[in-house]
Amino acid sequence: MTTTAPAAVTAPLPEDDEEQRPTRKRRGAWKDSAAAWAMLSPNLLVFGLFLLLPLLATFWLSLYSSSGFGPREFIGFENYSELFGDDTFWRATLNTGVYALLTVPVSLVLGLGVALAINRPMRGRGLLRGIYYVPYVISGVVIAVAGRWVFNENVGVVNRLLRGAGLDGVPWQSDGVGAMASLVLISVWTKIGFCMVVYLAGLQSIPTEYLEAAQMDGAGRWTRLRHVIVPLLKPTTVFLVVLGVIESFQVFDIVYVLTGGGPGNATEMLVTYAYAEGFDARRQGYAATIGVVTYLLIAVLTALWWRRQKATEADQ
Amino acid sequence: MRNPDCSAVIDSRRSRGFSRRSFLAASGAGALALAGCGTGFELQRGDGTASREGRLSFTLWAGDAELTAFTTVAEEWSRTSGIPVVFNVVPFGEALTGIDAGLASSRAPDLFRVTYQDIGIYAAGDALLDLTDLLPSGFVDGFGPAFVSAVQSEGRVYGVPHHTDTSLVLYDTEALAGARIPESLDDAWTWEEFGSIARSLPTGEVQFAFGVNWQLAGAYRWLNWVDQLGGRLLTEDLTGPAIDSRAGRDALAFTQSFFADGLVPRTTSTKGAYVDELFTAGTIAMVFAGDFLLPTIDPAFLSAGREYGATFLPRDERASADLGGNAVVATSQSKNPEAAADFLAYLSGDEAQALFCAQATVLPTRTALLDQQLDYAVRPDLMELFVQQATTITPELSAQVTVPQFNAVNASMVDRLEQAFLSGDDPAGVLADLSDDIAGRLS
Repeated sequence: MTTTAPAAVTAPLPEDDEEQRPTRKRRGAWKDSAAAWAMLSPNLLVFGLFLLLPLLATFWLSLYSSSGFGPREFIGFENYSELFGDDTFWRATLNTGVYALLTVPVSLVLGLGVALAINRPMRGRGLLRGIYYVPYVISGVVIAVAGRWVFNENVGVVNRLLRGAGLDGVPWQSDGVGAMASLVLISVWTKIGFCMVVYLAGLQSIPTEYLEAAQMDGAGRWTRLRHVIVPLLKPTTVFLVVLGVIESFQVFDIVYVLTGGGPGNATEMLVTYAYAEGFDARRQGYAATIGVVTYLLIAVLTALWWRRQKATEADQ
Repeated sequence: MRNPDCSAVIDSRRSRGFSRRSFLAASGAGALALAGCGTGFELQRGDGTASREGRLSFTLWAGDAELTAFTTVAEEWSRTSGIPVVFNVVPFGEALTGIDAGLASSRAPDLFRVTYQDIGIYAAGDALLDLTDLLPSGFVDGFGPAFVSAVQSEGRVYGVPHHTDTSLVLYDTEALAGARIPESLDDAWTWEEFGSIARSLPTGEVQFAFGVNWQLAGAYRWLNWVDQLGGRLLTEDLTGPAIDSRAGRDALAFTQSFFADGLVPRTTSTKGAYVDELFTAGTIAMVFAGDFLLPTIDPAFLSAGREYGATFLPRDERASADLGGNAVVATSQSKNPEAAADFLAYLSGDEAQALFCAQATVLPTRTALLDQQLDYAVRPDLMELFVQQATTITPELSAQVTVPQFNAVNASMVDRLEQAFLSGDDPAGVLADLSDDIAGRLS
């Protein structure tokens, strides 16, 4: 059957067909192109309306002094110059970076650990997968409210248990390190399930021959993990790192409810700071500036990461 | 020559009756159907949020008791005016965000509830209906001067002071058994006496003397202490900072000592958790609390078999209190300005206000009601003390906390006070930084 196709392609066409061919091709190409645009247009429309347009509007708003309603004043790049001299902004940037650095690797390692543990035939595997994944699909606000109950410094569950055991309570709310630790712990708990699911898919795509060959060569479990599984999961890891960093730079609900950015500015993140400036202080132009800079920061970080990955892959 | 494989594919597509063309046709039909849903969006425009002729839409946050009281008053007004009032009840945290969005998209309601500290920015943004000539002549004179000051901007009236609330010191009766409890404003605790009593109470890792209610954007309540010493946040013309003064520094040093001496939980700074739960849980023996919290605190104490009382705020050179409570305003986008003004006058008149305050356990702003015994639903004995404390709210302090830029100023106060309380920074340095912030915010 397959031999007939090349014959059809290479067979000489009649003269009149030779003349008609470019016109037909053009018409066919135009039809294909029109169909493609027709199918793309709903997505493009949604992308334009709900992503591109707000993005441009945010940039435009960042050039104004505005409370969100009433008269606004064009001030050029004044918001940007104020932002770069704003200690709270730099503190929020640092906090966001620290939060990303702590939550992303820990979530990945624990997610991979859980995926490896349940990537084998065992009773209750589906249930376990569900239990780990549930926190990821619960609303962040609900998670944070539960977190307040667990990490309340005076009457919280953790400190009551610690005091019951004769230990000192941890200053989860009044100390910067304790507050950041409570955020990281809760965030990691919510993210493990997602990392686990993605890693499970990655693990199941690794050909068993590779692992069997390594085993026959005398590689133990740890060696197989380090030299076979982890390298083969690299695309999965890259995906999770990029997604994790982006999510970390967008964190809001958990911080807003659990610590409110405090104590002091110890857990103020870029998005919570933008919200505080936009809706508490009613400086929406300035809040838009924080949003634009956060967007650029994420874009640059993501581009650098992809470029590094491509370079590494090319070297290999 | 046709490729038999291809023809097979085409045939199979035909047999299923779903070609690319039919897919596109179906998509087009779907798009038309979606476009037809436009009428649905039209219907939603009038679902209770936006202003519309022939009715008043009213966006507010409200507890159960408050909503019942609002509904009762609105129904009575509707009976005579023939105009229905449609309520749009939203959570407190989302109320003003929704109002801002409505104003920005020209879909604002006729009326909305607003804190006194927020009126200024809406008035400055031309978002509010100027009620000066729409309210009955002399009507505004029936409110206390501090409340009139709170709803005015550049001499024009932009809302009605619907009710107020202020703070007292609530105490656990057993914990304060041996202490002198002041029974009048004139013999309220001095700062020294208050500090001495607080230090005599048992404290520990989970036990503290008291908590102050300056959380949840309530940092402005710290200004009571400054006001008691005769100090100010802003200059008299309200155009610059005046907080970096002897009164400011003394007030900050005294309130910092609450944290330094372990009298209050470190979690109750300006960015911390609200304090009433710690009082009901027994973690703190005294709490600075607003009257609106009595319906929450009272049943908790009753069910635990404990008792609590209330006394006046400590005082220094003079007594002072924070301007709590809410106004109701009409938007400049209202399609029913006369009806809105008429409803506001009715809502904040003597009779309706008395009913609302009694049901919702809040304080009146009408001077005619200050001497009346209202039939409060919860602890009427304590509400009398709240009424007395509310008389110490000064027009000068009200004017400072209702300037249009107060949101931004208050946000700076939250940050700077948090830093001062938890880090113990030098008051002079903190107030110098706060002054710089305020100067920037006001400009």
